Amino acid sequence: MDALVSKYAHSSASPLDSSEGFSQAGFDAAQQFALPMFDIPMVSNPIDFLRAHTDPSAENRIRIQHGTTTLAFKFQGGIVVAVDSRASGGSYIASQTVKKVIEINPYLLGTMAGGAADCQYWERELGRRCRLYELRNKERISVAAASKILSNMVYDYKGMGLSMGTMITGWDKTGPALYYVDSDGSRLKGERFSVGSGSTFAYGVLDTGYDFDMSVDDAIALGKRSIYHACHRDAYSGGSVNVFHVKESGWEFKGNFDFDKLHWDYQAQPKGQIV
Amino acid sequence: MMSTVPSELPVTAPIEHRFDPYVDNGGTLLSIAGKDFCVVAADTRLSEGYSIHTRYVPKSVKLSDKTVISMGGCYADCLTLTKRIQQNMEASLVAPMWYRHAHGKTMSTAAIAQMLSIMLYQKRFFPFYSWCILGGLDEEGRGAVYTYDPVGSYEREACRCAGSASSLIQPFLDNQINFKNQASERRELSLDQVLRITKDSFTSATERDIYTGDYLEIFVITSNGVELQKMGLKKD
Amino acid sequence: MDHFPTNWGNPRNEDGESYNTYPMASNKVPQGVQQIAGYGHASGHPTTHTQSPVVTGTSVLGLKFKDGVLMAADNLASYGSLARFRDVERLHKVSDFTVIGASGDISDFQYVKHLLDAQMIKEYNADDGHSLATPHVFEYLWRIMYNRRSKMNPLWNTFVLGGVHKGENFLGAIDLKGTPYQSPSIATGFGSHLATPMLRKALDNAGGSENLTREEAEKLLVECMKVCWLRDARSSFKYQIAAITSQGVSISEPHDLRPLTYWEHGRDVRGYGA
Repeated sequence: MDALVSKYAHSSASPLDSSEGFSQAGFDAAQQFALPMFDIPMVSNPIDFLRAHTDPSAENRIRIQHGTTTLAFKFQGGIVVAVDSRASGGSYIASQTVKKVIEINPYLLGTMAGGAADCQYWERELGRRCRLYELRNKERISVAAASKILSNMVYDYKGMGLSMGTMITGWDKTGPALYYVDSDGSRLKGERFSVGSGSTFAYGVLDTGYDFDMSVDDAIALGKRSIYHACHRDAYSGGSVNVFHVKESGWEFKGNFDFDKLHWDYQAQPKGQIV
Repeated sequence: MMSTVPSELPVTAPIEHRFDPYVDNGGTLLSIAGKDFCVVAADTRLSEGYSIHTRYVPKSVKLSDKTVISMGGCYADCLTLTKRIQQNMEASLVAPMWYRHAHGKTMSTAAIAQMLSIMLYQKRFFPFYSWCILGGLDEEGRGAVYTYDPVGSYEREACRCAGSASSLIQPFLDNQINFKNQASERRELSLDQVLRITKDSFTSATERDIYTGDYLEIFVITSNGVELQKMGLKKD
Repeated sequence: MDHFPTNWGNPRNEDGESYNTYPMASNKVPQGVQQIAGYGHASGHPTTHTQSPVVTGTSVLGLKFKDGVLMAADNLASYGSLARFRDVERLHKVSDFTVIGASGDISDFQYVKHLLDAQMIKEYNADDGHSLATPHVFEYLWRIMYNRRSKMNPLWNTFVLGGVHKGENFLGAIDLKGTPYQSPSIATGFGSHLATPMLRKALDNAGGSENLTREEAEKLLVECMKVCWLRDARSSFKYQIAAITSQGVSISEPHDLRPLTYWEHGRDVRGYGA
């Protein structure tokens, strides 16, 4: 009994019995919920260290890739998620083909704004935990619970440089659900969100064109158009638009739309009446 | 784990750590995926500031018959990371057993790609200063290129150039490989065409980037395995 | 969330963040964060390490030739601009076919010598007929150097390792950041500016180190040592040369560079206080 107790009592991982963040010893159930471990530089203030080497003025600057305009909104037909696809490292466009919608599982989507690696890593870890939840409880996790797992995980690292602004969306017992989670620790339930440096532009279009009772096609068109305008006015956004539709049977990919093609398509259309 | 250094030091005021553990050793790497092949290429120059330490140092390593890794940035970090990948391909991350012995097979390109992402993120707060490109064949035998940022965000692409001359070569690849801003339709390129584009990329980058030059190593990955070609670049 | 992309991924400035609830840089390390050491020290003070070398050696030169490897280093250990110790040996025999040469901090070099010697004794004691060859010592030394830089406590040296293994000549260098590389010619410190061009030119003219005889190589190395002595203010005329061939290691007695130079000009100079 004592052996059992001591085994689980220390399950949150002593750095000695681990390598690469995973236990090298035998199977330990509690280990699966322990946070992964990270190497920390041996300096008096590791946070200053990271800042010094990722700061734009650093001599050997480590450029971390960034994601940018994302949005998601609820309407009568479920949820539409639309994102751009540009990643920049400083002023260099590192990629125009980033997948900023992370498919956590067939019913859950996460979006990516902030540090690309932070979003990818933690949402993958979230996916693993959601799968474990399913196996243990014989039912899918709620979006509320999933978003809270993510929020709690990154809150442990607050102030250490993680940067993640994400929307967790999906369909659970309560119907469509949409949460905003960020690395500062905020977790908000809502109807409409846009995150990233182009979010203000996206909000402008989204709020203007939004109507809860709109059709699925109109909702998708609105999501596309909002991201398009953000790409047009925000230098950190661009590439192409990816659109997803979340419904009762899970999410569905609605296509990838090249920004340049959208631009000339929209130019050819008659201008809509705003006022 | 507590410090192993003597704990009571006669320090009255904290002394700032000014040692910079990183150094940019330059170098350029490139990978292009084809229908049933993949090309991974890198120059072999190792520089520090205006000095060239050596003209020949391999930046790419064959990991399996289907996968080649190439890295640039801080050479010490890159070499360490490469060794750790090779070690983990034998000894799995999650099991105390050796991967090959546990699963009776070599890690697939996609599995190595995901593993590398986690290994990079492991050092999120003390990053490896390394630009990584993983090239190889996927499970269906198609060419695959995976690219990374220093802390492990990754993406599968058709082609990618990283390192000191990346901003010179990448726009050229966008145009020639992805047919960006071209009137002609996108089409599959043959291995021969891809090799010519690769060599032209490096000879041109050598003209304009001081950290690129000396020799070019090209790994060609096909279903027949990995073939290494070497080519001279300008040595000035 | 901070919506400005250039701030993403970096820790934020604590001064500008009045609502940050997390006690940054405190003694508390988040659960799951693996601490190497030094952070949140029990004494409340940060652990401090060598931030600069103290007693230093200047350049080490290395050159491959047809039958082996030659290395050269002078015998001076400087203390800043003071020529503090003038009979220090900076070339050290590690094994029958390996020599290490050190520039940079002399005390760190002595520590590394101790490590290498201990390792060689351990191998000898095993009495299994195996010994560490030059590439193995190089790998070991690289891990030592990289490990120390990763602890932000570097060994302040650039080491040059020369040797012969299985008929192959080996010449490599490792610096304080753990950067390992091999080259047919190597010159550390100030020598990288003064001697490298001479060595590389000679190698190019000969068409590679395999066409260089020992006499030619030795003559070239002495010439390089002379040039280094004339222009490197932290160098000395007293130097040693090590040769590693399939016959083994030989490290010379200290030689004098002065007879190779001409100072009689000074005899006729008038003025300038002379």
